[in-house]
Amino acid sequence: MSEIVLTKLNKHYGGMHHAVRNIDLTIGDKEFITLVGPSGCGKSTTLRMIAGLEEITSGEIRIGGTLVNHLPPRDRDVAMVFQNYALYQHMSVFDNLAFGLRNKKVPEAEIKKAIRNAADILGLGELMQRKPRQLSGGQQQRVALGRCIVRNPKVFLFDEPLSNLDAKLRIQMRVEIKRLRARVPTTSVFVTHDQVEAMTLGDRVVVMKDGYIQQCGTPLQVYGEPANKFVAGFIGSPSMNFFEVGIHAQDGELIAQTPFLRARVSERYKAALAAWNGRTVILGVRPEHLRVNASDVDPIGKVEIEVIEQLGSEILLETRAGDLSMTVARVNPQLPVAAGDVIQLSVPSDQLHFFDPETESAIR
Amino acid sequence: MSWRNALRNSFGEQQRFMLLLIAPAVTLLVLFQAVPIFIGGSASFRDWMLTNPKKTWVGLAQYISVLTDPAFLEIVLPNTFLFMFASVTISLAFGMALALALNRPFRAQKVVQTILLLPLMVAPVIAAIMMRWMFNDQFGIVNVVLETLGGEPRAWLVDRWSAFAIIVLTDCWLWIPWFALLLLAGLQSLPKSPFEAAAIDGTTPWRVFRHLTVPMLRPVIIVCIVIRSIDAFRTFDIVWALTGGGPARQTELFSIYAYETAFVFLDFGKGSAAAITGGLIILVVGLLLYRILDHVRKVSL
Ligand SMILES: Nc1ncnc2c1ncn2[C@@H]1O[C@H](COP(=O)(O)OP(=O)(O)OP(=O)(O)O)[C@@H](O)[C@H]1O
Ligand SMILES: [Mg+2]
Repeated sequence: MSEIVLTKLNKHYGGMHHAVRNIDLTIGDKEFITLVGPSGCGKSTTLRMIAGLEEITSGEIRIGGTLVNHLPPRDRDVAMVFQNYALYQHMSVFDNLAFGLRNKKVPEAEIKKAIRNAADILGLGELMQRKPRQLSGGQQQRVALGRCIVRNPKVFLFDEPLSNLDAKLRIQMRVEIKRLRARVPTTSVFVTHDQVEAMTLGDRVVVMKDGYIQQCGTPLQVYGEPANKFVAGFIGSPSMNFFEVGIHAQDGELIAQTPFLRARVSERYKAALAAWNGRTVILGVRPEHLRVNASDVDPIGKVEIEVIEQLGSEILLETRAGDLSMTVARVNPQLPVAAGDVIQLSVPSDQLHFFDPETESAIR
Repeated sequence: MSWRNALRNSFGEQQRFMLLLIAPAVTLLVLFQAVPIFIGGSASFRDWMLTNPKKTWVGLAQYISVLTDPAFLEIVLPNTFLFMFASVTISLAFGMALALALNRPFRAQKVVQTILLLPLMVAPVIAAIMMRWMFNDQFGIVNVVLETLGGEPRAWLVDRWSAFAIIVLTDCWLWIPWFALLLLAGLQSLPKSPFEAAAIDGTTPWRVFRHLTVPMLRPVIIVCIVIRSIDAFRTFDIVWALTGGGPARQTELFSIYAYETAFVFLDFGKGSAAAITGGLIILVVGLLLYRILDHVRKVSL
């Protein structure tokens, strides 16, 4: 069993900088958690505290039930993949992989076996005698992964391991990590600032900002039911459109209205939004949920096209209605549109999101 | 006028500017390096003593006389190489230990670093005179301490090997901070993450030192060893101030030997030959050392 439990975890750098604030998180045995958030939000710091590379200011970390607050890294039985791989440059690939096992005085025969096994999983076979300098980024990445696998640790920690790779290799390595997970299920924490990586890899996604956890949930939860405006805007690409709307009741319905747009509130949000009757809230709608000139869903208003981005598989539109600007995605690439055209937008009413303008938390 | 034109034609504007810039340095180098070397070189082929200033050309006779001088072969050369080896090894070891100790944050780090640097600012001659007084057989602090501890006072600088050891000690005292400083700079420029990876991999401090620190620091170590070895080979001042090469020329290093021959026994010809022989030896030794160490580094990369 290697559950990780973080309780009221805090990290201060020096007197002033509060990098990680009151983190409470339970990572189940063999669960794969991704930590995502903008630069400087405390992801690496959290991960390094779990690894034991960074001192904890207050709070508790338990791995497999044991309190590890004061254990040095080597007694925690974790393995870590660093952003820059941190390979031992002067050692061959084989020696890099063997180093951790030799530390534990594992017999050479067993080391060979473990390395052959890892090399099979990662396709490192012919590279064994090379030095890290003689490898491509993706190969170095695989060696770094291999170094963790051979040790067969309780916990895998990843600190943005894919961020140095080019886009294509990144996708390839993403799949490879998924494959690795299936073969060697291990409790894992994966830090990234790329929300696509976070969504595709994680059993659960933890969204962080300014040292706080904003939301923790399955990829579907953080996408479909964002806890607040930040998560709503951070997850999903292109990011969600936001604007202020007034709420008022009409004919037993609740209506969200701006001078340019008008949407009916669905049954789903009605109860929660009733309290906001006559006040202003923030409405969020994802670009991919907007439809152009659709007749079968509720229309919300007319907008003028400003910019057209043809991607071949879809069209992205930047549109404007008065002082509101709105991005529309997944437009049929064959649709004949031109800048300046006025189009009718519509959206299924249960795909609208509402946020408290003060606290920015979701209203549901 | 014509050489001007020639200059103008054969060099571009930028090249002429560069020539102008290096001209002062070249002049100084020629006057104070090339000319003396040439004079010395010429002297080494002549019979030239203060008592016999005819400067007769004698070919290689002076070199043969140096190379067959038992004092040179049996005392001076072994002394020089032993001194070079002992001084460099000991100061490297202690310098490394100091650098490692300083390479972690602790309170008063800055103060300790500054104190450490003090020996670097002391002139070698002064350090040597200090040491001579410390080891003086009648007034020296060392004998006083030894006596209060119940030991036998000794005439330190009168015995060949104890005198030699004191010379090495003085040199190490002067140079350990230099090693520590350069190695510390090297340590601080090493990337952090391999060490963090090693910590997570459960590496003992000794294995970190042996398998990470030393290999990663190797280029700095090599440069330190080569520079210091060549420098140690030429050591003059501390030996001159401590023992003057005595007792009975037993602690002479090569530069003392050359100096004494030329300026004490006033045999300029033989002195020059000795100096040039030493120069050639250190040239070869330095190149070899660099080759060997650099080869070790390349193999390990
Ligand atoms: N050693 C340090 N000393 C002082 N402040 C630090 C230190 N390391 C990190 N910080 C600060 O702590 C905050 C969190 O840093 P952290 O490295 O955890 O961010 P991150 O979420 O990993 O960001 P990125 O995506 O850029 O890697 C940042 O504001 C950073 O400036
Ligand atoms: Mg980071």
